[in-house]
Amino acid sequence: MMSPNPVMLSLLIVAWFSVFVCMHVLGFRHGRRNARWLVTSYIACCAATLLSVVAMSLWRDGGETMALSLLIAALSSACLLVLYTPAVYTVLTSLSVATLILLYRNGGRMPEAALYSRFATDSILRQRLCVLIGSGYLIEDAEGTRLTPRGRLIARAFAAVKELWRLGPGG
Amino acid sequence: MKAVIVAAAMTLVLLVVVTLAFRFHPTEARAKQMTLLYFGCALVAVLAWVITPVDLGFLAPSLLIAPQWLDLLLMLFFFSSAFFGGVLQLYNLADRGFSLRILIDLDAAKPRGGGVESLVKTYGGGQGLTWMYGKRLHGLLAGEFVRRDGDEVELTARGRRTAEIFEAAHRFLRLDAQ
Repeated sequence: MMSPNPVMLSLLIVAWFSVFVCMHVLGFRHGRRNARWLVTSYIACCAATLLSVVAMSLWRDGGETMALSLLIAALSSACLLVLYTPAVYTVLTSLSVATLILLYRNGGRMPEAALYSRFATDSILRQRLCVLIGSGYLIEDAEGTRLTPRGRLIARAFAAVKELWRLGPGG
Repeated sequence: MKAVIVAAAMTLVLLVVVTLAFRFHPTEARAKQMTLLYFGCALVAVLAWVITPVDLGFLAPSLLIAPQWLDLLLMLFFFSSAFFGGVLQLYNLADRGFSLRILIDLDAAKPRGGGVESLVKTYGGGQGLTWMYGKRLHGLLAGEFVRRDGDEVELTARGRRTAEIFEAAHRFLRLDAQ
């Protein structure tokens, strides 16, 4: 029974995922700060991973292990992405992280009231609303802010999860 | 292929166990509760992988991964990714997602969401933004990243180390202070 070469397969997956991370970070540093860039760069690198796996399989065993190798590569790459993305978004959007950084930049201490006036005000809400509008979850018109069908779908799906897990108001 | 099947089956089991735990054994430290359940399920997954036949009784030889240690390793990797990148993140988003809560509040608002001012008051099912930030601060205090000193909040040694890492990441990514 032929089997994929574990070392070569792992190296290919890790190498192409590293290329994706570099592409994403470099793009981010140069102003591509949206989810579209993350998805686009990932799709490109995932496709490159799969093509490399096909080439490796054809070269090594005439394609005998190709299907299994592709399955392992696609799943492993997707797993790396689901581990990478939350870590990135924690750095980018977490208010707890922003609080630690603000304290650090202010010599390690601040009045509690100053933290509240920095992070519990409508400016932070406006900032998030802009992001949600930009991502297509909300639209703003003369009557106010409202959900798009896509936004409503997400809101209801997560409201159902909160209900199922009895999480309370949350947020 | 056995790795994929065992990992997928254990992820479903984990989801059911987490749901039962949240509904019938609620606790403040839900993330810790979930992590303990994950370790328990990971142990069961390894046992299930060891006691079941290599081909699970139905897999074609072309779908078997060799050497066997690679199959076991992949199973643990897939299962761990499903937990840390899937189930745990689903909980984090559902319980602590700021943007998501805005969407849920707007969906609950009748007939329209209204302006930012009304969202400030109604955020978090009517608890407001002060409550939202208080929850974050409570988390930082409980995790001993900060401590209270009179009216002030101060970084602990742990908080300072963590802040240094995030500050470096923000500088590298050219992010302004949020």
